[in-house]
Amino acid sequence: MSKVWAVARREFVERVRSRWFWISSALVPVFFAAVVLLPTVLTEASGTKRIVVVDGTPPFGAKVADALSEGRVFRASHVAAASGVVDSLVAEVGAKRLDGVLVLPPSFLDDGAAEYRASNVSSLRDVEELDRVLGQLGTEVRLERAGIDPALLARTQLPINLTTNKISGSQTTGESSKQSFSLAYFMGITLYTVILMYGVNVKSSVLEEKTTRIVEVLVSSVRPFALLLGKVLGVGAVSLFQLALWGAAGRALLHERAALVSRITGLSAASDLFQVPTVSTETGAVFVAYFLGGFFLYAAMFAAVGAMSSSEQEAQQAQQPIVLVLVLAFVSMFALLGDPNSNLSIALSVIPFTSPIAMPVRWAAGDLPPTELGVSLALLAVAIVGVTWIAARIYRVGILMTGKRPGIRELARWVRAG
Amino acid sequence: MTKRFAGHVAVNDLSLAVPSGVIYGLLGPNGAGKTTTIRMILDIFIPDEGSVRLFGGVGTAREHSARVGYLPEERGLYRKMRVMDVLVFLAEMRGLERRVARERAAAWLERLGLAAWRQRRIDELSKGMQQKVQFISTVLHEPTLVVLDEPFAGLDPVNAQVLKDVVVELRQSGTTVLFSTHIMEQAERLCDRLCIIARGRKLVDGSLADIKRTSTGQHVTIGFDGDSGGAAGVLGDATIVKKVDHYGRYAELELAPGADPQRLLRALVESGARIARFELVEPSLHKIFIDLVGPADAAEAEGGAA
Repeated sequence: MSKVWAVARREFVERVRSRWFWISSALVPVFFAAVVLLPTVLTEASGTKRIVVVDGTPPFGAKVADALSEGRVFRASHVAAASGVVDSLVAEVGAKRLDGVLVLPPSFLDDGAAEYRASNVSSLRDVEELDRVLGQLGTEVRLERAGIDPALLARTQLPINLTTNKISGSQTTGESSKQSFSLAYFMGITLYTVILMYGVNVKSSVLEEKTTRIVEVLVSSVRPFALLLGKVLGVGAVSLFQLALWGAAGRALLHERAALVSRITGLSAASDLFQVPTVSTETGAVFVAYFLGGFFLYAAMFAAVGAMSSSEQEAQQAQQPIVLVLVLAFVSMFALLGDPNSNLSIALSVIPFTSPIAMPVRWAAGDLPPTELGVSLALLAVAIVGVTWIAARIYRVGILMTGKRPGIRELARWVRAG
Repeated sequence: MTKRFAGHVAVNDLSLAVPSGVIYGLLGPNGAGKTTTIRMILDIFIPDEGSVRLFGGVGTAREHSARVGYLPEERGLYRKMRVMDVLVFLAEMRGLERRVARERAAAWLERLGLAAWRQRRIDELSKGMQQKVQFISTVLHEPTLVVLDEPFAGLDPVNAQVLKDVVVELRQSGTTVLFSTHIMEQAERLCDRLCIIARGRKLVDGSLADIKRTSTGQHVTIGFDGDSGGAAGVLGDATIVKKVDHYGRYAELELAPGADPQRLLRALVESGARIARFELVEPSLHKIFIDLVGPADAAEAEGGAA
């Protein structure tokens, strides 16, 4: 048993020590941040704009200019409307000494019509900000004109705050619908990536020992199964460690997202598709259970692939069917998110080879009967035992074989042997 | 024991007894079954028939792994690992404690001139250095049985000398060394006992002296000084010479039964050959090997050695 531990520790230490591990640990959160932040940042990255408010309804224009300057989008000044003013300001914009001109005609407070002329009018942020300030100030002035105290109105307005909460087994989970979606989405992507990545790692490790013939020395001192077990446990521990790193980074990122967006763009992020998911204990447990199950299932198969190949190229070919199944499970995630309770979805989340990705996605996306979860987990456990048994037999023979990659019939003989 | 692979018998009813505390050579041409035999001894392959017993008792090589060291024919180490880490890990596989392994590894690295490389990665080392590291890993846990599969293959003369010294030293400290080779000169100089196998079968085994004694007939070595004159004709005379191995300036031959060496010498002098050396000798292991294995297999073995 101490040898299993030694094998596992070697796998863990060597992998965590590698540059590759830390690059992938850093790159994934960066990529994740890019996905979450970039769309907002890209449209908003234009910086503060200098504009002039041409005031046809003094002193309203001055108030608008002040309110705009308070935000981080605009730096605004105001001039009284006069003939030729707009033309000369437009000329300034043309000369790039000014970013835009907001024209408030005398009739603005009656019909709300205003005009924004700028070199770039496609920025949603600019338009949103103008809309917000003009709407708010215009409403206040018109309320005053009608003899209503704006403060009174503010007191009477009822802010609507509709929260959506997922119910799981007649218990509210604290996960909202948008959160459910983003959670399911990220869980699916993460499971697929990590299972594939570390499955391939197990394969490479087996292949390295086989091609360098170190395996002969190892097998003369530990049983092949103990070697395989130590290897899978070691690589599994690395994958959990990396998941924890990503989890911590992702959590911090999502938590600070609003602050990050507003620091970069100058606006508070109003509507997001991806909200900060609250991961309940149950969801976390389901994720980890299926991650471990999926990892063991696929790692055993990848180990067998490594053992039956004698070069990296051969292994690349031999692993195709396994990767294909995994890709299938990943792609099916999108169908699952559309309708988590269709027959297809149920089938995918119960079949052991797709369930490690499909089931956590379904779990996160919607309510699930506990019996389904139980059946799915039981089948996965059975599959792990069966697949590992077969894989270990292929491994035991394969690691000492050289030459041509065996066909199906040869493999069957290996499995039957002793 | 017997081991079969798809279609052929690699080792056929082979029986070996290796006394403890000796250097034992397993000799044979390529494909004779040396590596398969060694793998069965080490519990890497399970014999189809027969069994392996170690240290006079029960238990496989794997159960005795702390007492066994093994250097496989094809060398290799984890290329990305550091020298010290590889040594400690492999010693751990043999049941050695990490701390002890670290100390011993440091001493060995020092001794073989690799102390400065202990924190370097294996793939930064030259091939010769890697072989030294792998050799250290074979003996680090101080095994009582060391199995070396073709240990001298691919070694430069300096490393071969280092290895030879260590092997002799191991024997002096009471360790049993079993090694396979097809280089006869090495076996002749190193082995206390040996076994020659070909095509999976044992041809002969015992101590070197025994093997030489059982090889019948009188053997003569002749050195020519320049002109060998009509020597070829004399050596071809079947009434005097039974078998000849002619190298041009040098010949090893076995006399025909009852033939007088003096008669051969006289005939050679009369043929006009200039004799630099004429010696009655016991046959070299090389000669015995070729006689036993047969010229075709022997040629293959020599080809492999070149």
